[in-house]
Amino acid sequence: MHGPQGEITREVFWNILGPGFPTEQVLLYVIALTAFLLFFRGLYKGGFYTRLKLVMKATGTDVDRVNNPLQRFWFAMGDVFGHRKILREPYQGIFHLFIFYGFIALTITTAIVFLQADFIYPIWHVWFMKGGFYLGLKLFANTFGILAIIGILMALYRRYVIKPKWLDEKPEDTIILWFILAILVTGFIIEGLRMQAVEIGPESHMYPYIWYAFGGRIVAYLFSGMSDVSLRATHMVLWWIHVLMAFTFIVYIAYTKLLHIFMTPVNIFLRPDTAQPPIRLMPPEMFECAETFGIHNVEEYSWKDLFDQEACMRCGRCVEVCPAFNTDKPLMPRDVIQNIRTYLEDKAKFVLDADGNYHIVPDEEYTGPALIGDAIEKDTAWSCTTCMACVEACPSYILQFPKLIDLRRYMVMMESDFAPELQTVFKGMENNSNPWSIGAHTRADWAKEIGAPQLSEKGQAEYLFYVGCAGAFDDLNKRVAVALAKLFDAAGLDYAILGTEEGCCGDSAKKIGNEYVYQALAMANIETFKGYNVTKIIALCPHGYNTLKYDYKELGGNFEVYHYTEILDALIKEGKIKIKERISDLGTITYHDSCYLGRYNKVYDQPRDILQAICSTPMVEMASHHAKSFCCGAGGGRMWMEEHLGTRINQKRTEEALASGAKTVCSACPFCLTMISDGIKELGYEEKLQSFDIAELVVKAAGLD
Amino acid sequence: MNTIVCLKQVPDTETLIKIAGTTIAAEGIKWVINPYDEFAVEEAIRQKEKMGAGAVTIVSLGPDRAIESIRTALAMGADNAVHINDSGFYDKADPYATAAVLAAAIKGLDFNAIFLGKQAIDDDSGQVPAMLGEMLGIPAVTQVIKFEVAADKSKATVTREIEGGHMVVEVPLPAVFSAQKGLNEPRYASLPGIMKAKKKPVDVKNAAGLGVSDGPMIVIKEMSLPPARQAGKIITGDDAKVKAAALAKALHEEVKII
Ligand SMILES: Cc1cc2nc3c(=O)[nH]c(=O)nc-3n(C[C@H](O)[C@H](O)[C@H](O)COP(=O)(O)OP(=O)(O)OC[C@H]3O[C@@H](n4cnc5c(N)ncnc54)[C@H](O)[C@@H]3O)c2cc1C
Ligand code: SF4
Ligand code: SF4
Repeated sequence: MHGPQGEITREVFWNILGPGFPTEQVLLYVIALTAFLLFFRGLYKGGFYTRLKLVMKATGTDVDRVNNPLQRFWFAMGDVFGHRKILREPYQGIFHLFIFYGFIALTITTAIVFLQADFIYPIWHVWFMKGGFYLGLKLFANTFGILAIIGILMALYRRYVIKPKWLDEKPEDTIILWFILAILVTGFIIEGLRMQAVEIGPESHMYPYIWYAFGGRIVAYLFSGMSDVSLRATHMVLWWIHVLMAFTFIVYIAYTKLLHIFMTPVNIFLRPDTAQPPIRLMPPEMFECAETFGIHNVEEYSWKDLFDQEACMRCGRCVEVCPAFNTDKPLMPRDVIQNIRTYLEDKAKFVLDADGNYHIVPDEEYTGPALIGDAIEKDTAWSCTTCMACVEACPSYILQFPKLIDLRRYMVMMESDFAPELQTVFKGMENNSNPWSIGAHTRADWAKEIGAPQLSEKGQAEYLFYVGCAGAFDDLNKRVAVALAKLFDAAGLDYAILGTEEGCCGDSAKKIGNEYVYQALAMANIETFKGYNVTKIIALCPHGYNTLKYDYKELGGNFEVYHYTEILDALIKEGKIKIKERISDLGTITYHDSCYLGRYNKVYDQPRDILQAICSTPMVEMASHHAKSFCCGAGGGRMWMEEHLGTRINQKRTEEALASGAKTVCSACPFCLTMISDGIKELGYEEKLQSFDIAELVVKAAGLD
Repeated sequence: MNTIVCLKQVPDTETLIKIAGTTIAAEGIKWVINPYDEFAVEEAIRQKEKMGAGAVTIVSLGPDRAIESIRTALAMGADNAVHINDSGFYDKADPYATAAVLAAAIKGLDFNAIFLGKQAIDDDSGQVPAMLGEMLGIPAVTQVIKFEVAADKSKATVTREIEGGHMVVEVPLPAVFSAQKGLNEPRYASLPGIMKAKKKPVDVKNAAGLGVSDGPMIVIKEMSLPPARQAGKIITGDDAKVKAAALAKALHEEVKII
């Protein structure tokens, strides 16, 4: 199809349309139409429709997914076009960016050509693809095409040379990369062949502009000696191959992880609009009437829990950061997601009849593979520390670990199936409101010596100092409670503790899956807090902090909750806590981010600011820190379970601390302090490394110890 | 196999105990199932599960609060309960009176075995199992750590813990068995179990209704807490010799044991 003669443009379908025009063009339409039909057939054959059927039958409760649609839309666009999360990993981020924009640019270019040749010109006989616009388009397509090729080569290099151990390998991974590379390369070759045939040479009016299509120009050098006949013959064959590959690629999307092209933006749009990864709410009244608790049938998840699986492209970022995976435990968050995805199709064989109608199959009659045990191993569910690293890393905003909590809930509440050592923990929580099973009457013993004010005596205080079980019962962490009480006193803070009226926050119970015990503990605390008209709370432990701040809201407890590092940081900055002498004998220090303080609550700066203010020694970061910080191993109730599988998480983190060159590890969480102190002892690093809670150091720097 | 479990509610071992006259002050106490009785409950349930038939009946003498522990046992899997809710009788009951009222409650029931804890951790008498056996005219085997019953339920083969070893005995059923630690690992009640337990039948009785008028033969005259532990003393000195001398002197003069 010729554009205006002598203009700066090119002939569309050059060398393709034969004398039988429009046969070739019709053929092209037929191929395109077939490809789109095959794409939809692929959605059916590839299992997408089957899975979607179960997604639509999901019965679990979910949070609002479409509130603030505009804000959701722009947020999703920020991730899709801005690569907000993807670029957190620079190497993967860059190559994805190149491939992504490469294909967007080439799709736009193709669309323009299509518009010109198949609509605008045939209908109105207008040829807009000329002159400066044409040259710009050439430059644009060539630049992004080359970037896409670079991106693909980087991806191939990573997959086959760097070979990260957290990357899994399926045939589609190889096929996709080579396939899109082939599409791009053939694109450049046919451009080169055409240019060599009609543009290169002083006789062509296009000759001065050939470098706008620099990719095609360079490729054309390869063909400079070829005869016109061979150029045209090769061009025609390759052109059809290129077209067929491009349309096959569209079909292939439906069968593979490429579906993420559509599903990931949707999933980002639907992401939870909450500050925390939501763990399914079990309304208290449920315990009076429900027949089953937690999840053991996959349909009991929410529709969004099941839809998540569609958005997972197996990038493995969640695996890379998972402390369980990194210590050889049988947990890879990606595989949790992928196994549920496969399981949906397995389950469908039992709950969908030949016509695709869904039937509930009662447990007694169900003979297929089980969700717990077959699709997801019990040890997998138990290995999670709820560190949230997977959720934080996932570019598709998939919630991996909350799905495991639901399984734990079933095992714990329905089957009493849990590590034997947890029995004393639960009984301790039930009978003495602490996991150590220490007499509840000793909860305030730590405060006796310093006489911390009690709400029962004081009646009212601006802040409730919620100490939590570790600060109250654990010798190592009682020091932290004492330090904080001294600091609050010195700063003239109007605060009080609950003494023996305080109860366990319930975080461990909740994350282990014992929602029943968690709610009993939470309700008791909420009632006590309300009884004293508590409005502001300072929590010593990040787990209590997070639970009181977010989880209690679900049960009617609305409090303004702070972690002690937020308070101390402010008090130091306001000059209410005076630093007498900055500590100089700790050597280089490093700060270990607690998951529940950092990733869960974004409290990254305050602890570091405090350390800067009170220590004169240099600070370094460990290999993983802030949002990528490596868990100590104690979250999710793992504090109370034996670590039988793999190596020890706390030792890995301790090694990381040592490798940073630090002599002192500081933390602001009782679990972290315990785990790292144990790690130091277990590894025999007492001479090389020491660990402190920040509060202990502040009290020292303030001269109050 | 039908079994009966005698269950006592006792203070949690970690609870702060305060003496009030010849008893302990009730307020602030967290009450739990006597730990040895948990082994008894668990064993009864396991036997029922193993045989695939039968019922487990909990019998407990105790005030209103005892119902919580009865419900816990029902949540673990027991089927029904008799609550001898008689605080007038319970407050004064000695092991003999306890055994008498339990025997009266059990007499009309259909059972192959009775499981008890080997002792209650509150008053530590350890007498009830044997007395109950006597009163019901059936054998009593104490300190049981392994229990196996013949298929026809005619006899049980039981391992007992004895000082420094084990003893295997055979006993015709029905009989009384007292559970020692090691018999099993008691289960944690599942939530459906807890829900179901709320609806399981609990027969409430009192001593007079059971025709028991036997008062206690033993009267508590006094109860006291052990003396508070004194702070340890650290012996200091320049070298081992000096320290050893100081230690010997202290043991001889202060503690007067050498
Ligand atoms: C939790 C616990 C802690 C314990 N701690 C300790 C401890 O710290 N130190 C310690 O030494 N023991 C300890 N014991 C052991 C305890 O002292 C004995 O188990 C208990 O005294 C035995 O009482 P019984 O009624 O079971 O005795 P039985 O075996 O029935 O005997 C009781 C008494 O009956 C009489 N008797 C029995 N048979 C005969 C016979 N053939 N002829 C004549 N008289 C007979 C004897 O006077 C005998 O002493 C402990 C036991 C328990 C349960
Ligand atoms: S929360 Fe942490 S431990 Fe659990 S799956 Fe995610 S990364 Fe792994
Ligand atoms: S769950 Fe998210 S982070 Fe993990 S592999 Fe899938 S897309 Fe990647």
